[in-house]
Amino acid sequence: MNVPHVITALLVAATLMPLVSSLLIVFFGTRVMKAASGWFATGVMAGGFGCSVYALVLWLGHRPDTICNVLPWIPLPGNDPGWLYLGAMIDGLTVAMMVMVTGISTLVHLYSIGYMAGDKRFERFFAYLSLFTFSMLGIVISNSIMQLFVFWELVGLTSYLLIGFWFEKRGPQLACKKAFVMNRVGDMGFLIGFGILFYKLGGVVLLPAVEGGIFDSVRDLLAAEGYSITNPPMWLTAAGISLFFGAIGKSAQFPLHTWLPDAMEGPTPVSSIVHSATMVAAGVYLTGRIYPILTPGAHLFIATIGLVTLVLAACMALVMTDIKKVLAYSTLSQLGYMILGLGTGSYVFALYHLITHAFFKCCLFQCAGSVIHSAHHQQDMRYYGGLKSKMPITALCYFVCTLAISGASIPYTATGISGFYSKDGIIAGAANYSVAMSAGGWLGGLFMWGPLLVAYLTVFYMARSFALTFLGQPRDKHLHDHAHEVPWTMWLPQVCLAAMAVLTAPMIMGFWQGLIVETNETMIARGVYWVQSVADIHHGEHMIHGPLLHGFGWIVALSAGLLMYRGGMGISSKVVAIPGVNLLYTWAHNKFYFDALYDVFTVGLGKTVAYIVSAIDRYLVDGAVNLAGWVAKLCAALIGVIDSRVVDGAVNGAASAAASGGRLLSTTQAGRVRLYVLMLLTSATVVTLIVVTVTLVSAG
Amino acid sequence: MHQVFNVSLTHFLLVSIVLVSAGVATILTKRNAIGILIGVELILNAAGVNFVAFNHYAWPAAYPVGEANDGVLFTLFIIVLAAAEAALALAIFLNFYNNFNTVDVDKASELRG
Repeated sequence: MNVPHVITALLVAATLMPLVSSLLIVFFGTRVMKAASGWFATGVMAGGFGCSVYALVLWLGHRPDTICNVLPWIPLPGNDPGWLYLGAMIDGLTVAMMVMVTGISTLVHLYSIGYMAGDKRFERFFAYLSLFTFSMLGIVISNSIMQLFVFWELVGLTSYLLIGFWFEKRGPQLACKKAFVMNRVGDMGFLIGFGILFYKLGGVVLLPAVEGGIFDSVRDLLAAEGYSITNPPMWLTAAGISLFFGAIGKSAQFPLHTWLPDAMEGPTPVSSIVHSATMVAAGVYLTGRIYPILTPGAHLFIATIGLVTLVLAACMALVMTDIKKVLAYSTLSQLGYMILGLGTGSYVFALYHLITHAFFKCCLFQCAGSVIHSAHHQQDMRYYGGLKSKMPITALCYFVCTLAISGASIPYTATGISGFYSKDGIIAGAANYSVAMSAGGWLGGLFMWGPLLVAYLTVFYMARSFALTFLGQPRDKHLHDHAHEVPWTMWLPQVCLAAMAVLTAPMIMGFWQGLIVETNETMIARGVYWVQSVADIHHGEHMIHGPLLHGFGWIVALSAGLLMYRGGMGISSKVVAIPGVNLLYTWAHNKFYFDALYDVFTVGLGKTVAYIVSAIDRYLVDGAVNLAGWVAKLCAALIGVIDSRVVDGAVNGAASAAASGGRLLSTTQAGRVRLYVLMLLTSATVVTLIVVTVTLVSAG
Repeated sequence: MHQVFNVSLTHFLLVSIVLVSAGVATILTKRNAIGILIGVELILNAAGVNFVAFNHYAWPAAYPVGEANDGVLFTLFIIVLAAAEAALALAIFLNFYNNFNTVDVDKASELRG
């Protein structure tokens, strides 16, 4: 058995299965399958998950090198024609991502059967959801930037369709447009970066760090031009930052982050998959794939973007009262951690955090969806309270995942829940980076203090949302009476995901981290710049654990959040009344005015340009067109006169002559038989007389 | 007293003139289709009388049976034609009656231009 071939076949099958099920539902969903389409799509997705898991088992058993299968796809013009390749690239990271995406997608499909039940476009939802999963799997398995871009745009399209799924309502309409446009802004950067690489490397850009891959090509080119990756030419930094702009759009980083909270307008299963396995994961994954060619300048840029995002988003999450908005901003913040991790060189922990975050964030969204589902679609946490007794399973899952996102651990030991390992690794890596950057002054210290403080903020706002929703007394009696535990198709996925949030910890399921470490080791072996090894990061971890009391910090923040919001918003409203805090609160509550800023500067600018262009259109272009039209009308009028007077005159003359002649003759045809007979006899007599006269005259 | 009245061709022609005049007068005055048909029959019979009379006075020796009796044959034809024509005309009148509920020929003016 050729193991790499089998693994490739399994993963390609897992990628294509959702596409097939999506197409089948498109063609046969509403007529043949009807309500069964949900179960069909879930079943196919589970099959894909099975394939992925089998591939994972084979991979762990045999540990093959990076698999890179290519098919020539599009020939390129030129003297030395290369090819654009279509193919599959499989290394440890790919396998981990495949298992994570198919697994979460299966659970989201299952959850949607309950959540979307009774929706009038039930079948279509599953077609979209499967297509969405297919697009993400395509990104994960792509082996070239070009192929990745195709799936990248497919993800953009399907997210547009899913966010705007309830397109009758104004909110989803605007939200899906916004998501689409924001992503296009990022994709413009992606295309520019791709163009630079395409121009410089002459075509083929294979992603993996293998012989002849992107890293080798760039390194050889740099060596030929007298540069190196640590002393890079301007274009390489520009290419890295431009490609990263694609990730800024997809992973909703500052300054293109505003679409993600608005995307909450979509159905909650969509939020749960967008925020965990697919859409936002794509940006982080892309950054992980282009990682080998990132220069020090690009790293600094990426780290800064990540830092700004994670701080701003955490502040906004602190003040939101809509449960889905809180989770949306917490996603932004966690994505900021991942991007910061990639920027600061802790490759393993950043991508490991992507995996752990996917499980617990998906679970949090599903729990939020269940609460909303059973609470008359009320999303404001101020109306919740005391739902713990009504929805025990959901409350438990939510609490486990709150611990996971908080990075809960047993104080002063290295034992904790999954989120602890990934986030702690990122903070420690950032601390290492901060030390390296401290030559640049106090600003370098931000890279250590920022993520550390925001980690406590994360615990606090998650505790806040948990307390407001599940603890204390019911604040809306009617809503509380109506609330009930959700059906098993909805709580089962939650339980599975909450279990995974615990189990992905390295000491239980070590392979998650191990697979990414494999990719990391491959990159270190090939000499990729600024990859911190896991050992280095653990060293940094020891540096910050002691002095900063990381051990008890999370417990303090959690207790503070739970106690402060147990009885509702009473205490917090007193706190935000303090001058100064008041100002910060207003800023955060208005999302730091980013939407307003974009409205004024981009939308306003666009509208002004559109107005000018429309004026040019109306007066200049329309004027010319109208003039041409007027000339044509004049000519037509002249020709019309000739036609109506001369040609029609002749024709009408002939016709009227015939008509009047006919009318004259027709008076003799009056239908009077006796008149006919009289005329007959008269004429016969006359003819006879003539004949007789002529005969007599000629005879005589 | 018994006076032999010699019947000449002129008498026959007089009879046929009376017949044809009566026929024309009938056609010109009648609006009833049946009446017109009767008038037509009178004209036809006048023609028949003429044929027989002319045949007789043109070839007296051949009378009653001989080779030269073309006029008599024409008269037979006229009688047959008259019968056929009467049948045809009556059929038309019947249809006409069915459609217009009358046999007044002045009412048959649908095709007037």
